[in-house]
Amino acid sequence: MKFRSLLLAGAVAMSAGAAFADCAYENTTPLTSLSAGFEAWKAVTDAMAECGNFTASLDQEFREKQPEAFAANPSLYQIGGVANATLIPLLNAGSIRPLDDLIATYGQNLTPNQMIQIDGTTYAIAMAVNAQHLMYRTDILADLNLEVPTTYAEVLAAAQVIRDAGVVEYPLGGTFKTGWNLGEEFVNMYLGEGGEFFADGNMPAINNPQGIAALETLLAMTEFMDPEYLVSDSTYVQQQFQQGKIAMANLWATRAAAMNDEAESEVVGLVGMASAPMGSAAPASSLWWDGIVLAANMTDEEAEAAFQVALEGIDNEMVAANNDTAVWLVSGYQPGELAAGAAGTAQNGAVPYPASGPMGIMHTELGNGLADYLNGNKDAATALADIEAAYITAAQEAGLIQ
Amino acid sequence: MNFRTFAAFVGPSIVMMLLFIAFPLISVFTQSFYITQPIYEVVEVETCTPGFLTQTCVTEENSVPILDEHGEIVTKTEFVGLQSYRNVLELDRVWTAFREGSWTAFQTIDFWKALRFTLTFTLITLPLNLGVGLGIALMINNAAKSIRGPVIFISLLPFIITPVIGALSINWLFRGDGILTAIMEWYSGRDIALFAQAWTIEILMMLYRVWHVAPFAGIVLYAGLQTVNQDSLESALIDGASRWQRMRYVIIPHLMPLITFISMIHLMDSYRVFEEIVGFSSQGHVISLQWLTYDFLVPDQAGNRSISRASASAMLTMVGIVILLIAPLRRTWRDHKGSN
Amino acid sequence: MSSRALSQPRSLKLTSAGFLLLWCIAAAFPILWITVMSVKSPVDAFDGNALNVIFGPATLAAGQGISVLDIILWMFSLWGAFILTARVAPRMVTSYAPPKALWLGWMIAIAVLFIGAIVWFFSIFPGLSDNLSPWLGPLGRDGIGFTTEHYKTVWVERGFFNNFQNSLIVTVGVVTISLSVGTLAGYGLARSGSTLAFWILIIALIFRALPHSVLVAGYLPVFISSAEWLAPILGENAPTLYGKPWAVIAVLVAINQPFTIWMLRSFFQNIPADLDEAARVDGCSHFQAFRRVIMPVMWPGVITTGLFSFLLGYNDFLVTSLLLDAQNQTMVPAIAGMFNRETTTTDQVVAVAAAVSITAPLFILVMVFQRQIVSGLTAGAVKG
Repeated sequence: MKFRSLLLAGAVAMSAGAAFADCAYENTTPLTSLSAGFEAWKAVTDAMAECGNFTASLDQEFREKQPEAFAANPSLYQIGGVANATLIPLLNAGSIRPLDDLIATYGQNLTPNQMIQIDGTTYAIAMAVNAQHLMYRTDILADLNLEVPTTYAEVLAAAQVIRDAGVVEYPLGGTFKTGWNLGEEFVNMYLGEGGEFFADGNMPAINNPQGIAALETLLAMTEFMDPEYLVSDSTYVQQQFQQGKIAMANLWATRAAAMNDEAESEVVGLVGMASAPMGSAAPASSLWWDGIVLAANMTDEEAEAAFQVALEGIDNEMVAANNDTAVWLVSGYQPGELAAGAAGTAQNGAVPYPASGPMGIMHTELGNGLADYLNGNKDAATALADIEAAYITAAQEAGLIQ
Repeated sequence: MNFRTFAAFVGPSIVMMLLFIAFPLISVFTQSFYITQPIYEVVEVETCTPGFLTQTCVTEENSVPILDEHGEIVTKTEFVGLQSYRNVLELDRVWTAFREGSWTAFQTIDFWKALRFTLTFTLITLPLNLGVGLGIALMINNAAKSIRGPVIFISLLPFIITPVIGALSINWLFRGDGILTAIMEWYSGRDIALFAQAWTIEILMMLYRVWHVAPFAGIVLYAGLQTVNQDSLESALIDGASRWQRMRYVIIPHLMPLITFISMIHLMDSYRVFEEIVGFSSQGHVISLQWLTYDFLVPDQAGNRSISRASASAMLTMVGIVILLIAPLRRTWRDHKGSN
Repeated sequence: MSSRALSQPRSLKLTSAGFLLLWCIAAAFPILWITVMSVKSPVDAFDGNALNVIFGPATLAAGQGISVLDIILWMFSLWGAFILTARVAPRMVTSYAPPKALWLGWMIAIAVLFIGAIVWFFSIFPGLSDNLSPWLGPLGRDGIGFTTEHYKTVWVERGFFNNFQNSLIVTVGVVTISLSVGTLAGYGLARSGSTLAFWILIIALIFRALPHSVLVAGYLPVFISSAEWLAPILGENAPTLYGKPWAVIAVLVAINQPFTIWMLRSFFQNIPADLDEAARVDGCSHFQAFRRVIMPVMWPGVITTGLFSFLLGYNDFLVTSLLLDAQNQTMVPAIAGMFNRETTTTDQVVAVAAAVSITAPLFILVMVFQRQIVSGLTAGAVKG
């Protein structure tokens, strides 16, 4: 036991936390932010905190709190972190402010690609994109002379070969945890089949051949997965990968860096990244972005300070320090090998996640309703019909369907 | 004790309960008969979002809520009677399933699926809890005086541990190749996946609940055992009562009030089973009534929540708990009448 | 058991002892196991092989381990610390300090023990360990993987101490208010035989049975916008209830009231009513009788009930996660947050270390109050 070194390390960590790193803008207005809590947000809010007078709430309940907190007058938080879907309630309630004036004054370093625009007005600044794409064990595929699969048919065929060869017990991994994760898997697969979620008047339109094809692919995949798939979330699949228990998975780009983390991975350097496998129309994936919004209910002075602090959070110094944490949209980002999957997915024509009010309900109903199909309690058409019925009930209650 | 003194003693407690329990409850009750929703208009919107390298812009028709002059969303509230209850109960689907005679179809309807599990869970863990609790109490009482302290301490651990932490540690022990699953696999020589089907998850959840609450029952009953009348035990012995008979006719009757107390607490707590569902992420296989209410209540990613259905399902849950509590409540009523 | 005739045959005793042992293992195993996991590197902690988790080869390979000598030294120091604080220090204080200045004696004793602990653990202990290790061969070499870095991450880098303080505030608040309000109500209910009292109890019981998520979700919008709707009453200074520890304390106290008043009522019912009636005959009001006669004898029941309030406040997740923001978050939602954010395996082990940390105060609490809990329950704090 090296107690002295331990003590010393502790002291160093403390002093590093207290020291202010350089920040181009010295903030004097008290500011707070509310966002999700994953690594990218931690990096960004840490960088913002360097400007002083700033506290960040990285809250797992942010989805529930954000609409209410931003609707209060004055808003409880000045800066918010949102993604495709969580932008919708703020936008609907008019509780975030247009950023065009601020961008004109301070936003010289932002790229046009970062602007989230609604009818030409910028409401949010994106900092990173994320998508699910194929990760695979290069060594296993090479040993068995397998090509990197590009379609789900090939993924399933390769999985069969890997299992027959007895390399790993469960060739495939998947984030099939009932709820949001499972819903997302279907959304990806259905988009890959080229499906549309809604007909006119927000009516559901998923009970069709594309929907059934998407479901059948999901079911076929479960054959090759750990039977506990209905409880596996991204962290669990990532861990299965790290422990060398699975050979392929369609996993979030933000998880790629963990594969080469020497402290926890047993497969360092053995995981390759490729585009998400193709459905019949597009890659079975959807593009997500994370970005920053400012509250409408605050003074213009506060907004100016908040905007400058926010920009410090997503500047290229932060990206240089956290290059592999996310697929950043900020200039100065060096896409490494780990970003190849996300890039390939985008190149092959993956579409953005179709965020909207009705889609929020649809995603929830899909996440709750699909387990009955995978468990064998319902056939594909019944499962989809029941999900549509559940969607209609919920959408009527929300006022989206008359 | 006159009314004013009584009110002065009880007042603060009543005010707290009124403010934070009764008022929310009343509002839940009313909300279950109304639907409040924003008024939407359909507008054509051009939305530009970042792609990997370039922006993608789409123009589509979106439903957007109308804002008033203060910038607040315009909502309308409508009396819908029992509509929300019907939406939760889905009686037409129940009827179809019933006509087809299909239990599986019946068990895919959320409310009934949740009710089935909640009742099974409550009614199976109740005797287990009492049995294990009584066992612990008797065993501690049997143990030498010197080791009782440490044994009570260890026994209380499952009860005091933070429920969230408890459920998580069970996860680590059993999920995937968790250590206990690994040991079971090694022992049986078979591949075991405890989280892959409903019945194993249900058993795990029940075992976890008994593990968590039995120490409470055990300690309460152990305290009760300390006050067993030694004279009646000895006179029973002189009458030639066997060990089992002494247990059955002297000790158990003495503990009966405590057993009622524990049962009542257990009925209430296990009927609102929730932590287990979240901790074991069993939503794909089994759900409980409180989880269903919670799921209606939690906003989805776009901020929609089903408050009316949540209220209806909460009210239905309450009806259930009142029915379960009728028996112990009648006993309390009799005691009350008797004591006056 | 007093009588010899009641003694049990040996077979029954053995079976009973055997089952008791089994139960103790079942009760303690999960907590012991996560403690072992928390001092291992991520690779070891989630290894499928139990022996790897216990001995931690990967942790050892990373140069972090503990030798048999260290373990022996550790056990010796802990045992010594326990004897010194629990046995020697009280005796020394009572015999050397003047009775009037007992508190001063305790202060000095605590200061001495604290300084002693620092000197021992940071200077003598490592010195002993470093100097003895070479002489003991295999016993002195690191044999078992052991690392405290996850605890360091939790407490130093993640600022868990802040969460600890918040937990302390909330828990102390809940216990004090809950008991003061509940004791009064429990006494009033126990001494009034009216039908109103009965119905209050029944309604309280139904409140106890309510699913919490139903109530709690209703608070959030009201708490967040409280500055707006309180403004007409309180003017400029209207507070935002959301994120305020005392607002959470009020909610938890209310949720806890039904159970508290039921427990305390049954407890007060077991205190003979003659006791306070005699005081009233002597000219005391109800409140005076309560203060002079009841308060001195009520402590066993209050401590038992207080422990349940403590557990509720300390362990609560639903209310604290929803109504507190990150700055004043308590420990339980903070740990749940560590798991639910997009975690790496390292984060998970860090969270395991946090989970062990959060259990430690509960350990101490039960150790200190264990006797009172049993005696409080025996005295009749629960009678259906």
